[in-house]
Amino acid sequence: MAGKSGRTISATPEKSWKKMIFGWEGILILIFIAINIYFSIVSPSYQFANILREMPKYLTEVFLLLPMVYILVLGEIDISVGAIVCLSATMSCMASNNGMPFPAVALVCILVGTACGIVNGIVLINFTELPPMIVTLATQIIFRGIAEIALGSGGSISLSNADGFRSIAGKVGNLVPYIFFLVVIAAIIYGVVLAKTTFGRNIYAIGSNRIAAFYAGVHVQKIRLICYTLLGFMSGIAALFLTSVLYGANTTTGNGFEMDAIAMAVFGGVSNIGGKGRMPGAIISAFIIMCLRIGLGQRNTNPQVILLILGALLILSVLLPNISASLNLKKKTVK
Amino acid sequence: MKENKSILKKITGSREASLIIVLIILCIVIQFRSPSFLTLKSILDMLKNNANTMILTLGMLGVLLIGGIDISIASTLAFSGMSVGMLLKYGIISNTFLLFVIAISIGVLCGLLVGLVISRGKVLPIIATMGFMYIYRAMAYLIGNSQWASAENLGDFKNFALGKVLGLNNVIWIVIICYAIFFIVMKWTKTGRKVYAVGSNMEAAQISGINVKNIQLLVYTVMGTLAGLCGALTTAVYSSAQPNMAYAKEMDVIAACVIGGVSMSGGRGSVGGALLGSLILAIIAKALPLVGIDSIAQNTVKGVIILVVIVLNVLTQRAMDKNNLKGREM
Repeated sequence: MAGKSGRTISATPEKSWKKMIFGWEGILILIFIAINIYFSIVSPSYQFANILREMPKYLTEVFLLLPMVYILVLGEIDISVGAIVCLSATMSCMASNNGMPFPAVALVCILVGTACGIVNGIVLINFTELPPMIVTLATQIIFRGIAEIALGSGGSISLSNADGFRSIAGKVGNLVPYIFFLVVIAAIIYGVVLAKTTFGRNIYAIGSNRIAAFYAGVHVQKIRLICYTLLGFMSGIAALFLTSVLYGANTTTGNGFEMDAIAMAVFGGVSNIGGKGRMPGAIISAFIIMCLRIGLGQRNTNPQVILLILGALLILSVLLPNISASLNLKKKTVK
Repeated sequence: MKENKSILKKITGSREASLIIVLIILCIVIQFRSPSFLTLKSILDMLKNNANTMILTLGMLGVLLIGGIDISIASTLAFSGMSVGMLLKYGIISNTFLLFVIAISIGVLCGLLVGLVISRGKVLPIIATMGFMYIYRAMAYLIGNSQWASAENLGDFKNFALGKVLGLNNVIWIVIICYAIFFIVMKWTKTGRKVYAVGSNMEAAQISGINVKNIQLLVYTVMGTLAGLCGALTTAVYSSAQPNMAYAKEMDVIAACVIGGVSMSGGRGSVGGALLGSLILAIIAKALPLVGIDSIAQNTVKGVIILVVIVLNVLTQRAMDKNNLKGREM
């Protein structure tokens, strides 16, 4: 297949160890190792057990990251996830305070999230002209607005009986929290589905060229609906675990989660032009940011400095490859 | 086919005209429910309190016109507002004019940096501005050093928002001046037309000799400038400066643009539309409590209205396309 520039693209991507090590994932692993070495030298409390203890709070965002990668690979964006988390957490707290048993509460939480995702998806597939950014902006305001109405004038709710939530916040062998295993399992499932199944390849196809994918027989709208629903579903799960850490919810729960999830994905090499990026990179970058937050938090750094670093990382991770690519291009044209 | 183009069709065909009708209907309905709405004082208060959204909508119009987006503006606003607040709090500078200049120059620098990264670094606008959203917000917190400026710190500066020239509040004058400048620039100058050209078809604009990169840089710098100006204005109007000021304001601004008919994919939109969009949002926010809707439900209603407007927009567009096709049939 000859491209615009006349170069040919082989059907099978060439595999080489060079690509593995010098690729983006390799760099990310190096950064991950470097950060861990740095913190374990400068901070005596940066130990395995402590990291694992602080992890659950940050791991909830990884649930959002996984389907967000799908959405970004599709070339779209969803900024309503923070609001979905807020709404699901609020509803589950209310259900729990009304005396529902914990399995029912968990079901409510996940169903609310899934329903929100379906709403996003249905609006987007019926009105394909609308940009996802603006639709999810509107639904973000609506979902958080519904949570605000439900919470009433106080603006917050706390669990009267947190026994059920404590049971999912437990740890295996008093060390590794359950959520860690769940995140790992979910990450493997999402990664394999994206890389190895027809569904995953279809997502890449839509992201690279939606019209071509449509003519090739890919059910574009069906896959978009599934992706947005998945994001809602995972938001419900994230809300459940977030509640098990916070024992309550308020109107600002989940503020900025959508940006964090997108930032992790972009830092991991997923771009929202679509059709580019892999799951492992996104997950490694999630752990880099997590370690950064825990490490800087232990050193009593101002939490705003962490935001500053996060923003700079986000920009540099896209800017630097772009600059080096344009420099390479200049070199080639000079020759 | 000529007789088909009646006045009615012209009105439904023109985005601004249909917006004006929506605005008038809104005003009449609200006026029936609450007679205190359409008084001069109430309207001027509303304009003053929404000055920052109205001004930022202009900048966002430019950004959306070239097919970009800027979600860092609320953070830029907080950064410049906090800088002004801190300068006043520690008594370093108390000259109102000088403070405005400082706020605006902070905005220019912030916008310039965003523009450079997007135009020269070829970073996607949403990613780049998301990064700067974090960075500038963090700077606002860091410059405050967990302090904030209250009314007694602000001294003479807060009187700016109370002062009047020719019977109109200073803040409203600034809004009017900004809109006048933008209207003229976008409609009658080369630069304004270049912005439209880049938004409609970037490659065609590039080939026809427009320096696309510079236009991008310009648009984001103007956006930053207006955000910096709004930082000082917001500090004066609310007579306080907090690092979390105008949190998530960018979403209101984008919503105002979209309601005003500015296309997110670039090339379509006008200053009049931006004005009407931000006015409709402002009136909705003002009217909901007057009409008797609980203030808690305001956000939900706002979100539903945005969703309904954009969906209606698509439906009318589809109907128009269908009609156009019909016209071609023999």
